Amino acid sequence: MASDPQVQAGAVEAVQAPPSPLAAFWASFCENRGAVMGLALLSLIIFVAVFAEWVSPYSPVEQFRDFTKLPPVWVEGGNWHYLLGTDALGRDTLTRLIFGARVSLFIGLTVMVVSVILGVALGLAAAALGGIVDVMIMRVMDLILSVPGLVLAILIVAVMGPSLTNTIVAVTAVFLPRYVRLVRASALSELGRDYVTSARVAGAGPLRLMVLTVLPNCLAPLIVQAALGVSEAILEAAALGFLGLGAQPPVAEWGAMLADSREFIRSNPWIVTLPGLAILVTVISINLFGDGLRDALDPKLKRS
Amino acid sequence: MLRFLLKRLALTIPTFVALMFVTFVAIRMVPGDPVEVRTGERGISPERLAQFRHELGLDQPVWKQFTDYAWGLLHGDFGTSVVTNERVLTEFVQLFPATLELAFFAMVFAILIGIPAGVIAALKRGSIFDQTLMGLSLTGFSMPIFWWGLLLIMLVSERLGWTPVSGRIDLIKFYFEPVTGFMLIDALLSDQAGAFKSAFHHLMLPMIVLGTVPLATLARMTRSSMLEVLSEDYVRTAYAKGLSPFRVIGMHALRNALIPVVTIIGLQVGSLMAGAVLTETIFSWPGVGKWLIESIGRRDYPALQGGILLISSIVIVVNLTVDMLYGFINPRIRHGQ
Repeated sequence: MASDPQVQAGAVEAVQAPPSPLAAFWASFCENRGAVMGLALLSLIIFVAVFAEWVSPYSPVEQFRDFTKLPPVWVEGGNWHYLLGTDALGRDTLTRLIFGARVSLFIGLTVMVVSVILGVALGLAAAALGGIVDVMIMRVMDLILSVPGLVLAILIVAVMGPSLTNTIVAVTAVFLPRYVRLVRASALSELGRDYVTSARVAGAGPLRLMVLTVLPNCLAPLIVQAALGVSEAILEAAALGFLGLGAQPPVAEWGAMLADSREFIRSNPWIVTLPGLAILVTVISINLFGDGLRDALDPKLKRS
Repeated sequence: MLRFLLKRLALTIPTFVALMFVTFVAIRMVPGDPVEVRTGERGISPERLAQFRHELGLDQPVWKQFTDYAWGLLHGDFGTSVVTNERVLTEFVQLFPATLELAFFAMVFAILIGIPAGVIAALKRGSIFDQTLMGLSLTGFSMPIFWWGLLLIMLVSERLGWTPVSGRIDLIKFYFEPVTGFMLIDALLSDQAGAFKSAFHHLMLPMIVLGTVPLATLARMTRSSMLEVLSEDYVRTAYAKGLSPFRVIGMHALRNALIPVVTIIGLQVGSLMAGAVLTETIFSWPGVGKWLIESIGRRDYPALQGGILLISSIVIVVNLTVDMLYGFINPRIRHGQ
């Protein structure tokens, strides 16, 4: 009934422009308080990592030999010049943590970008070409998955030698299969849809079909996986660093800082506590952010 | 069912072959000649060098080396450690029970706490308990476990003095021959007063450290799986029939909610092995993880190669078993094929 006031009101509302996708995403993202908190923390960490030279009080390798193993300033014996204390060589802990944020985020982001690019390329190739290419790619991914992540990374680093670059290579190899599988699975489910058929009928070439037609519709789960993948890459790289197989000294890397601190576990608990706390806070903030992304981008995956 | 089993089994064979190939290639990419590593810096006569090369099979064509290697693997020859001159398989078999014990109890710890916690959180959705648990779960999930281990040592071992810092048992007070390889059981069998207590105290912290990530994962999974099941029609029907809440939750809801959780438990095996490497290193737990890391330090590549191959084989076999068990408990999978 056209005279029903409710229907009329509905019609008026429908005429108004719907919110832009970005605004809708942002509104949905902001519903999740944890996600906003994670984003705020993460922005702070990214800020200090990018502007490490300006934010940090000293240089990460500068040694203050007269002030070794100082506790943080709020503990008895602390010194206002070294807010979070110093390590066994007298290097400022706050400075090293800030530079460590740069190393960890660099590793996490590089691993994510490289594995997303390779994952999209291999996943789309497997889905589009099928047959022997598909089988080959997926068998290799199964192989990688059959070796426990850290063990595979250890093998790669042991063979190639420990360094920052090889850490990135090793961690990328570990995380690649999940991107390939994800892209392949969502591409395959999209390939059967009508809009893909119509694009094909309209004469789209295979490359155009996969990249411009199919890929955009696989992005939501991929973005979520990529965000959470950064935090896992950071944890994995820190574990390698802790085992002495990651970035080599004097690079300020959180895992390596922890490994160096092990002998002071009894005498100087702060040297042990702070780098791990930095890893934990960074990983939690990325995970909170990632959860928020998932809820906002991919309602199907929303956790109940 | 048989077809499902065979199909699944056939899929793992190429993976095994490829795994052999990769470890074979990886070990040859290591910088440095294995013969020169053995002979040292002083060098030896060309005849001895040729003899060494022959003994190691390095004078053969590469494809022959690979087939010999694969043939050896099929006969249980995983190489010989260049440091101890012990067969890699022998060393692995001696050390593996320690890792198995650690991983087993870590998983038991995770299941005993994680599943009930997840169920309660789902039943009391939105409560303080639920929110706290989800917060803790996120923290556990994000935890760098090597740091968690150091923290626990600092608090529980150093500050409170409750548990020892390293090892599996107090070796000064207790000695007995391994029977099962599980220190807890061997300690009980040994009839020595206090041995079990000592073994348990040694196991406690490593178990908690290794169990933390699976615990967080299980609590989360159980909660969301339970929430999903609780909104199903058959649960409403069960309530409508007048069954007691206890019966509905225990019999109808939980049994169905646990199906995905069981898979998750199986899939944790890989990450348990990876976590064991870190946990064993922190607590000087004499298992295969610590041995693997030490073999890198000693440049004992045959040990590293064999160890990784053995660990991966175990993970493959366990995953295969889990898949099959999953087919048993969830008929939809096997009939869906």
